[in-house]
Amino acid sequence: MWKKDSSEGSDRFEYLQTLVTEFQDTDSEEAKEQVLANLANFAYDPNNMENLRELQVPDLFLDMLTEENANFVEFGMGGLCNLSMDPECRDVILQGNGISLVTNCLSNQREETVLSAITTLMNLTTPSSRAEITDPAILQCMLRFSLSESPRLRSLAAVFLQDCCSQEQVARAEQQMQGQQSAVGIPLPKD
Amino acid sequence: MAAPRNNNSSCWGVPDVYKHHEQKKICISRPKYRDGRRDRAVKVYTINLESNYLMIQGVPAIGVMTELIQLCALYGAVEEYRPLDEYPAEEFTEVYLVKFQKLTSARAAKRRMDEKSFYGGLLHVCYVPEYETVEDTRLKLQDRRRYIIRAVRNKAREKEQKEAVNEKPTSSEKATTSETVIARYEKTVVPDNTGNTSNICHYSGFPLLPFPPQEYHYYRHGNPHRTIPTEDKMGTLHNAIIDTKRLEPQSSSSCQASLDKDRGTEQRLTLNQAPAAVRFVPRTTHLENRKRRMEEAADHSLTDVTINNEPLIGPKLPEPPKLDMEDVSLNTTANLIRNTLKKVESVPDLKPVEKKVKPRRRI
Repeated sequence: MWKKDSSEGSDRFEYLQTLVTEFQDTDSEEAKEQVLANLANFAYDPNNMENLRELQVPDLFLDMLTEENANFVEFGMGGLCNLSMDPECRDVILQGNGISLVTNCLSNQREETVLSAITTLMNLTTPSSRAEITDPAILQCMLRFSLSESPRLRSLAAVFLQDCCSQEQVARAEQQMQGQQSAVGIPLPKD
Repeated sequence: MAAPRNNNSSCWGVPDVYKHHEQKKICISRPKYRDGRRDRAVKVYTINLESNYLMIQGVPAIGVMTELIQLCALYGAVEEYRPLDEYPAEEFTEVYLVKFQKLTSARAAKRRMDEKSFYGGLLHVCYVPEYETVEDTRLKLQDRRRYIIRAVRNKAREKEQKEAVNEKPTSSEKATTSETVIARYEKTVVPDNTGNTSNICHYSGFPLLPFPPQEYHYYRHGNPHRTIPTEDKMGTLHNAIIDTKRLEPQSSSSCQASLDKDRGTEQRLTLNQAPAAVRFVPRTTHLENRKRRMEEAADHSLTDVTINNEPLIGPKLPEPPKLDMEDVSLNTTANLIRNTLKKVESVPDLKPVEKKVKPRRRI
């Protein structure tokens, strides 16, 4: 396995690089899913974040968000959720149009994907991105989630509303929701 | 996912069966280079999936709840627990909900207890984050963020130090110049450091007993440059935490503080020689040194031993054991091994071992 010397760091880098290469070269959907899941799990360890950044894995995850394969989206979103905790990865994701891509995942049918998206949006909140993240449409979505039957969705949405926006913003979003005739299209996840 | 049966958000309400409780099928099609040590399903872990609440299924219904909770308590303090009678369970088995004080304890318990035999039954352990309150969730996310930022910062600092050290000439193992000694000593003190790998190898030679909960582990488990891989090839770090817990940063911050204060003093230098050299000593020699030190330990006070031989100084125990290896389970193990060796070596010796040393358990 890993060598017991200073080249261990580069061994790790090479291994991650092999994974990325396999992902790009293989035609097998199944293999792609496995590798993607591996990368997303590696992204959970802060020691790998720099290596993954160098390998442009944040962009790889962002690309997955527009894929048809629901597993690709779920794993990619999970990877972003893990990576976005690191400030430098967060900035890379923001530069790559992350907020918009992640927001689209709020309407995903899979609960896990939605949960990862909410957490990622919270991680992506910076003084400069706050305005975009607390867009009324997103707040309304979170308000609906906070009434969901799913306890995890409820809790996460509640944390988002409490931590990322002011009470005035939430109140305004609530008023706008009541003023609308029909629910504006962000459906709750089905699974 | 089954439709939730109620909107009760209290953790003591009727439980719902969720998809993430189910065990997914193991993936068998992985190429060898990225196949792990254990069979695993294809699954991604995020902070949302993890929780300090665990659900344990498959517990034989023979009245072993106490034993089960005692087992859980080996991995960390248990705040609450109760049987989940309403949750669908196989015949003759019970399901329990256990709330740990810390996420790291839950992680370790899940890793160690999942798929393990318990009184004849096979346990299935999973996280149940749906039992968290809003506050639980918020704290969980905050802790995670803080840990990441700190780990990243440590890594950056360590990288800088490594680059600084690499610029200096280092030909022999024994420290000859004061600057080199200080540099290495710093390195062995700083947590998450390559210099500690020899210590880690050494720890890995011991059987992996569960150990008492340690306060600082949550912020330290992501250590780089370990010889014990923190993840397997599939990136499942969360299943490998327990191996890395052996490294006790403990009061490494206090170590560092004292180091900074004493830097450059001669006395510190002489003390530093041993730990600095430790970095390059092959594993077996390190073990032998340890044995020798243990035998000599009776002549030294606890403080001397720790300062002279180990860069890491653990919290002082109220009654320090006679032979200290700075870890309760290691002490126990060392005693057990020593007793067994004594028995084996002295065949004609018919004196029975007076007291069987039991691994200490905390409930």
